[in-house]
Amino acid sequence: MIEIRDLKKCYGERTVLDIPALTVKDGEALALAGPNGSGKTTLLRLLSGLLKSSGGTVKKPGKVLYMPQQAYAFKGDLIRNVTLAGCDRSEADRLLEKLELSALAHKKATSLSGGELQRLSLCRVLSVDCELLLLDEPTGACDARGAELVINAIREYRSKTGCTVLISTHSPVLALNAADRLIILNSGRIEADGKPKEILTSPENEWTQHFIAGWKI
Amino acid sequence: MESFRQAFQLLFSLDRELLQIIGVTLRMSFFSTTISCLLGLPLGALIGTRSFKGKSFLKKLIHTLMGLPPVVAGLFVYVLFTHYGPFGSLNLLFTVKAMVVAQVLLITPLVVGLSSSFLEGTSRPVIDTARGLGLSKAGTVWLCLSEGRSALLSVVLSAFGRSIAEVGAVSIVGGNIQWKTRVMTTAIMLETNKGKFSFALALGMILLLIGFVVNALASFAGKEPADD
Repeated sequence: MIEIRDLKKCYGERTVLDIPALTVKDGEALALAGPNGSGKTTLLRLLSGLLKSSGGTVKKPGKVLYMPQQAYAFKGDLIRNVTLAGCDRSEADRLLEKLELSALAHKKATSLSGGELQRLSLCRVLSVDCELLLLDEPTGACDARGAELVINAIREYRSKTGCTVLISTHSPVLALNAADRLIILNSGRIEADGKPKEILTSPENEWTQHFIAGWKI
Repeated sequence: MESFRQAFQLLFSLDRELLQIIGVTLRMSFFSTTISCLLGLPLGALIGTRSFKGKSFLKKLIHTLMGLPPVVAGLFVYVLFTHYGPFGSLNLLFTVKAMVVAQVLLITPLVVGLSSSFLEGTSRPVIDTARGLGLSKAGTVWLCLSEGRSALLSVVLSAFGRSIAEVGAVSIVGGNIQWKTRVMTTAIMLETNKGKFSFALALGMILLLIGFVVNALASFAGKEPADD
């Protein structure tokens, strides 16, 4: 379970995240949406431990994995990129196949396209078991097929590990198909919180209505 | 042209003095580069990957020291090791050891400055990905070094290049003593002043050749294997 109380992140005078209270149940998948600069990445980085908060408390599980928004290609082939997280070769092969990257397994990771690299980055993070999985825009560079593969892989990982998942996204398709709950952030504050379908079909307030209207489903 | 012919003759005749000068030069450059890298790379990694109070000032100081005139470094070491200096009792003045100390003073800021600039620009995505995967600090540092090995190799080569080509500091603290502290650059200067251009040219060509061989070896070592 994740329990957040009065969590704040400020840069000088500017407050980029201000969450008075938020609870995420064990095994729940939560999608975080909102415009650029709304605090999605900041929240994930705070939970991952890569960023220090300016105030408040966070209770979270012990084993946390985080996939950054900027997918990184380590030197070497795709197999090396997946196994460096600690998994064995057969698990790397299985994940690469799942994400339709098997044909490129012995290519240099630096030669991949943006979408392929993002799927590789997901393979790498899904190769290790955890209690809390944080994914920062995992379909940001993917085409429709790539996004479908990513969603399926996340669902399979969830059912295998039973972990809690937080996904920041600009994709309503991802929010609808991979998450049980959707939170919409606006300037670091929670604007809407509920089931993805309910928020998307009947937004609670005018700002959320306006934001949802900009999403293409 | 006659000078070039004489230079080649000298090279292939394996002149004893020439070989001794090459030996001293390589020994001095090897030790000064190694010590500078051992001191400079960890410091560069610290500055390049961490945020702390006074970092901006420290970077300015290092950038200033990167341009330290060799004669000033030589003078400083001379004062330290002269008979009446704080380390005079060590009797290191006019030895290869003193030349190494002067070069370490010159080269370490270069290693710190170049490695920290490189790591500052490129290490963030590596660190985020590695820490995100739950790798240990040691594992993360190893990945950073492994990812940046080509660039870090360039840093080491720059240090070696500065070391082997340096003349001001080593002539002050080494004294350019024949069969003892004479290195290629100080010998070139001396032989040119004496009008013995063939010897100076031969040394110049060897200097270039060593630079080429070291670069070729380093480029081979830093090469990423091709796709299957």
